Amino acid sequence: MKKLFFALVLVTILATSAFAAWPEKTINIYITHAAGGDTDYMARQLAANLEKVLGVSVVCTNVTGANGATCMTQYKDGNKDGYTFIATNTAALNGNEATGMVDFGYNAFEPVAVYGIQSGENIVVHASSPYKDLRELIDASIANPGQIKLGISTGGGVYIMACVLANLGHAQFNIIDNGDAANRLTALLGDAIDATSLPYSTAADYIEKGQLRSLCTVLSKAPTLIPNQPSASAVVPELKMDTEYALLAPKGTPAEIVKAMNDAVLKVCGTPEWKEMVNKFSFQDPFYFDVEGTLNNLKEQRDLFQSFVPILEIN
Amino acid sequence: MILQGLMAVFQPLTVLWIAVGVVVGIIFGAIPGLTATMAIVMFLPVTYSMSASQGIATLMALYIGGISGGLISAILLNIPGTPSSVATCFDGKPMANKGQAGKALGTGVVFSFVGTIIGIAILVVLAPVLCAFALKFQAYEYCALALFSLSMVVALTGTDMPKGLISAVLGALLATVGLAPIDSRPRFTFNLFQLNNGFALVVLLIGLFAISEVMSFAESVRRKQDFTIEQNVKMKGAGFSLAEFIAQIPNAIVSALIGVGIGILPGIGGGVSCMISYTVSKNTSKHRELYGTGIMDGVVASETANNATIGGAVIPLLSLGIPGDAATAMLLGGLMIHNVAPGPLIYEKNGAVVYAIFFAMLLSAVFMLLFMLWGMRFFVSVLKVPKNYLLPIVMVLCGIGAIGNANQLFDTYTMVGFGLMAYLMIKAKIPTVPMILGFILGPTFEENLRRVSQLASSDKFYNHPIFCVLIVATVLVIIFSARANIKDAKREEMAGE
Repeated sequence: MKKLFFALVLVTILATSAFAAWPEKTINIYITHAAGGDTDYMARQLAANLEKVLGVSVVCTNVTGANGATCMTQYKDGNKDGYTFIATNTAALNGNEATGMVDFGYNAFEPVAVYGIQSGENIVVHASSPYKDLRELIDASIANPGQIKLGISTGGGVYIMACVLANLGHAQFNIIDNGDAANRLTALLGDAIDATSLPYSTAADYIEKGQLRSLCTVLSKAPTLIPNQPSASAVVPELKMDTEYALLAPKGTPAEIVKAMNDAVLKVCGTPEWKEMVNKFSFQDPFYFDVEGTLNNLKEQRDLFQSFVPILEIN
Repeated sequence: MILQGLMAVFQPLTVLWIAVGVVVGIIFGAIPGLTATMAIVMFLPVTYSMSASQGIATLMALYIGGISGGLISAILLNIPGTPSSVATCFDGKPMANKGQAGKALGTGVVFSFVGTIIGIAILVVLAPVLCAFALKFQAYEYCALALFSLSMVVALTGTDMPKGLISAVLGALLATVGLAPIDSRPRFTFNLFQLNNGFALVVLLIGLFAISEVMSFAESVRRKQDFTIEQNVKMKGAGFSLAEFIAQIPNAIVSALIGVGIGILPGIGGGVSCMISYTVSKNTSKHRELYGTGIMDGVVASETANNATIGGAVIPLLSLGIPGDAATAMLLGGLMIHNVAPGPLIYEKNGAVVYAIFFAMLLSAVFMLLFMLWGMRFFVSVLKVPKNYLLPIVMVLCGIGAIGNANQLFDTYTMVGFGLMAYLMIKAKIPTVPMILGFILGPTFEENLRRVSQLASSDKFYNHPIFCVLIVATVLVIIFSARANIKDAKREEMAGE
């Protein structure tokens, strides 16, 4: 009996020791976007909190470029020992695949967790502009084809938005590339364009001051702390651009470790400190999924983006 | 609010962080390959846990220290520490060769301070007015501005214009590698994902100036030589007299205005401002033939302008939320993280933080002046280190800098490749500086040209007065510089006979 007991204990120890010891050394998180951006901030907040939960150091490194494609290409087949992770956002993950920048999607990774959601982008116009909502803007563009200038950045999420507006919303804008959000803001303030899409955080003060007017959010649902906003999807049902923060592991990382990491992430996301942080930073409540939920969520978003592939062309 | 800002900065811990920031900035600036931008990138996550004022103050200190530190290696080693001090080499190194290293450093440090202060003054007083002006710059205007700045190449290259143009065009071509602007299609990437980002300016800079310098030195290794160089570099005060300082004031003011002007316009930055102000200073000077032989004027023009660019770049950053260069783009991130959204409401919502930024910048400038003047005797002693010990260390630091740019080992290979290219260029007597201008301005020109082509059908160029003025100015600059160059060439020929 005693022998059997010891044997049982031994087997249990052997069976669990393969991953029970995880984590026992420093974990590396490679961030796909530069320091100072929201993807970097969220990843570093997560890392700092994971250190407390896991008891090991979590080191963040930014490997930037090509909207995250550089980092994802480099680490999708990275070390599978459970100490290498990639922090990115879903707009980059699914968008780069849809626009053909890379030939792989979330399936090239072991998704660990979706751990947050952005405050989203808003379609904005000059305050002196006559358009009060997205419907009016689109109708005006149909009435005067090519006269209303919509500022975008080609290849990114805003580009996909413009394609959806043009091909599914039947809008007839004169689409002009202005580059990143800061440049689009300059162009809008300088009257070089009539409308564009800006991150809520960039546009908020201008809206409050009465210089710009927001027509709608392109999130599927307005952020929890700024709820009274119309959604673009009310006018063009397909226009849902939810940018979420995701943690991925290289393909082939053991499922047990992915699960254990997800548990740790969920533990972090459930704390009151985390809620306070995301409330303040992105006007959202904590937003997270377990491994299965993460997979479903990523699939849903990828399907939506892939459905745009045939229309990613502006005539 | 001003008082709140003052109190936020003059707390022991914040002052300490500013001091640390300035010192780290100077070190990053001085080491070829490590730049002000990199210092800010490294420290940005550290500031996440600080208060808004403290965090931004630290980043500002790094920025000011980083831009200023670049002059040290430019003068002592002929290797610009950051892109902003490329033009400092032109006269700084010849001064050092004449035994005036101390004077060159002193000039650089003092006029860096002067430039920073003028920049801050304009920032504090004129920010709202200048922002309205910056908003007038859209695709058409940028297109013309890039051309105008590129026309400076003709003035920069001197008598051998074709070679200068070869270098500038090569630079612009190198900048086309990677994802194309606007449509993000890969160009010349040969399916290497590492090339998607294109080449980084800092990697090109190291290759062009540091690696080639080491290789040129290596040529002389087997010759018998004196390894103890410049033992008696003495320092007194800032190294130059009050009369010399006063004589440089007009030059400094013009250079500072050029620096601020370029700083305000997003996307150009200190690397261009130092070269343009050097060229302007040279072409308007009564003794232009002395430029490049080691005179104060050249160092003053470059160092005043690049530091004045800081104040200029912060103007659109704070008032519009639009960063002027790579370093301010990082600062923008730093502000957003602390829920300070730059824009029209920043004075109303975060007035205390804005004033804290002004005070932090002033304090950083003063610290920079003190630390650099105090440290000058140590910097100069670098010249006493035999180059066969010094240059390998520089090489290693350059390699670290190249990797640090994007955490990619690939960039060190590129660095060596650029070094070989630069060495061949030097052998063929092709100047390397126009290449930097072409590399920075080529993409600005291309991107905006393509935007203009999208606009041209509905928006004609004659509706853009700034565009027209800049194009006329470009033509004039080319004609006059070309004429001056031909005259110089004739004079040289005459002297040759």
